[in-house]
Amino acid sequence: MSKSSSKKKPSDASPPMEIPEPKFNWMNQSRQWGTRVSPGKAGLTLDSLNVGIYGEVPPRWTDQGRNPRGAIPVKGALPIGYSVTEKIGLWAPCAAELYEEAIQRRWAPATDVPWSSVQALPDDVETAICQICTEISQYANVDIEVITNWQHRMSYGYHEVKQFLATASLDAARRYEALRKRALINGGGLGLEPVDQVNRFLLESRGGWTETVAGIALVRGLFLATMCEYLFRHAYNDAERAIYSHVIQDVARLITYGVDHLRYSLARDEEKASTTTTMIAIGLALLARDLRDPVLREALAIVFGGGVAGARREGMSVFFDFIEDFRDRHIDLRRWLNLPADVKSMPRAFRPREQH
Amino acid sequence: MSNPANDEILPELHLSWMKRRGPWNTHAEPGKYGLTLADIQVGEYGETPEESSNLTGRSRGSTPRSTAMRIGGYTVRSKSDIWVENASFLYEEALQRQWSSATDVPWNTIEPLPDDVEQAQCQLATFLTEVEFVAGDVPARWISTTTPDYFEARQVLLAQVMDESRHMDVFRKRALANGGGLMKATGATAGFVGGIDLSRDFTEMSSRLHISGEGAVLTIFRMGELMAYNDAEKAIYRLCAQDEARHVAFGVMHLRYMSQNAPERREEIDTYLDEAERAMLTDAANPAGRLTQTSESLCILLGGGRDKFDEGFRKIVAIRRRQLQEYKKRVISAGFGERFENGRSRLNEMMAQAAA
Ligand SMILES: [Fe+2]
Ligand SMILES: [Fe+2]
Repeated sequence: MSKSSSKKKPSDASPPMEIPEPKFNWMNQSRQWGTRVSPGKAGLTLDSLNVGIYGEVPPRWTDQGRNPRGAIPVKGALPIGYSVTEKIGLWAPCAAELYEEAIQRRWAPATDVPWSSVQALPDDVETAICQICTEISQYANVDIEVITNWQHRMSYGYHEVKQFLATASLDAARRYEALRKRALINGGGLGLEPVDQVNRFLLESRGGWTETVAGIALVRGLFLATMCEYLFRHAYNDAERAIYSHVIQDVARLITYGVDHLRYSLARDEEKASTTTTMIAIGLALLARDLRDPVLREALAIVFGGGVAGARREGMSVFFDFIEDFRDRHIDLRRWLNLPADVKSMPRAFRPREQH
Repeated sequence: MSNPANDEILPELHLSWMKRRGPWNTHAEPGKYGLTLADIQVGEYGETPEESSNLTGRSRGSTPRSTAMRIGGYTVRSKSDIWVENASFLYEEALQRQWSSATDVPWNTIEPLPDDVEQAQCQLATFLTEVEFVAGDVPARWISTTTPDYFEARQVLLAQVMDESRHMDVFRKRALANGGGLMKATGATAGFVGGIDLSRDFTEMSSRLHISGEGAVLTIFRMGELMAYNDAEKAIYRLCAQDEARHVAFGVMHLRYMSQNAPERREEIDTYLDEAERAMLTDAANPAGRLTQTSESLCILLGGGRDKFDEGFRKIVAIRRRQLQEYKKRVISAGFGERFENGRSRLNEMMAQAAA
């Protein structure tokens, strides 16, 4: 760093102004100077900044202010009150990458959905679609409330996760909006408010972010993503296909973050494996209870079956496929996380073809 | 192709929910800008209650169920507490103008700079990395407790959280891209009374964050040409200014709505403005304020080097005056112009003190 000194000389051309003597006492102070990160194929990414001390992510971030990681911290600032202060409680190695991916894959429901492709549908199908839109919108509402409720409590030193969650809550905002728009464009409207135990479960998971993530990713997220894949295959127009494919992509990132975080966390704390398993079991039991409510099930069956007439046989068969598909994916992810899981241990609602 | 299911395991359909719909026959029409939030404010779906009794989180316009649990726990339930007219415009513009700090900034235009200029740039970037996300953390906290009945305003705030996330990372990227590094944090945002973080009322928070805080930063970003040394920095300031203009607009529009619809709160709001005004030039969160490490780095950038500090200082004084003038315009536009005529505001005095 240079050591040149300043000269104080008022310019003749300007009106007289008393110019204070600069201190420059902040100069030549850096924990690591000489850093030059160059853009790569994907531009200058967040992850690429993690060089030298800037990439050192400590297991605890006790600083209660907004000291950027790698800066010289300020001492004595009044605490802001961050409560998620341990890396094990939020970290996912892929968060920075997911953040940049979310930005590259951004979309706008107003203009990236071919709304003119939506044509009048039979009343039963439109009613069912609108009910599903109402349900997914409300899931998105819960995602918004849950994510924003946790994000602001996370220590500044783990900025990659906070930033990824900013994309995740905006994704949820798009879901909320896109599905509402679909419900209101085609002669329908919103349907019946869902009575949903999983929503409650996610909102009331205040004990720990890791446990909340288990619910968001492995229960709700995976259920929604799988449902949207089935809805995509049974979509009635290009607008719906566009909406579902964007939602699938967006939710896939949330699931990826969740699984990556759980893997990170479970590998470092045995206790977490048992609390996570318990949370998932509760989440699945509540999801099973939600599935007893006929509204979503029948709406999906009508959409899958092409109307009320095809709902009971064909539609319900596809619905069972969807449930089994969700179950199998859930088990796969659990096994990948070394968490015990098999078909028999799941609530009976996830074995719909068995005689009860 | 779905597996056929035995007839006896297929549940009978209830279908009674199909008659319990929200207002039907809704035909929202896409306009010039696609299908916007404004376009779906049709019929009852566009009606926003003055007070929200929605405690279950249901979507506005859906049919309530008497069995739904009160899982919302919302604290923002009065429209005047958070509402802005034209939220749709701000939100849709935010989605259209999302950008990527990885790929929309021409990073390869950055060339090595004289050491004093690079240090000043890095100090300013450190400061901005630190303060940008106060405007992410704090709106997130409010989003999590705002009733979805006011979701249009909430969508704007969700987009803001995303914008701030990008601002936080674009300045971190700048600090690490050109042979420099992060420097000293300032503690400019901390848990002090009257600070943005601790505000217990949304409008108090907004007047401080959107009107005075981001307003001051917007003035600086708009003058980015004066302190940019390459196209990358010009792009950063230009893109950030675009985002900040929306955030400031939200604050102005919210204050205007509040002043028109909750006149009983006008005096109280004036008190927040008194406080914000008093702090404008001294507040560490204003980089053109009196905190040495940020104001001196700005002077070096504006002057063109440490030895041109005086020239830089004259420019910073001009920036301070412009900040005050723009603040005044915003407050007038928000409907609180009286304070500049009835002697309540000390802005004129502050204009004179801008050179101190
Ligand atoms: Fe910002
Ligand atoms: Fe902002």
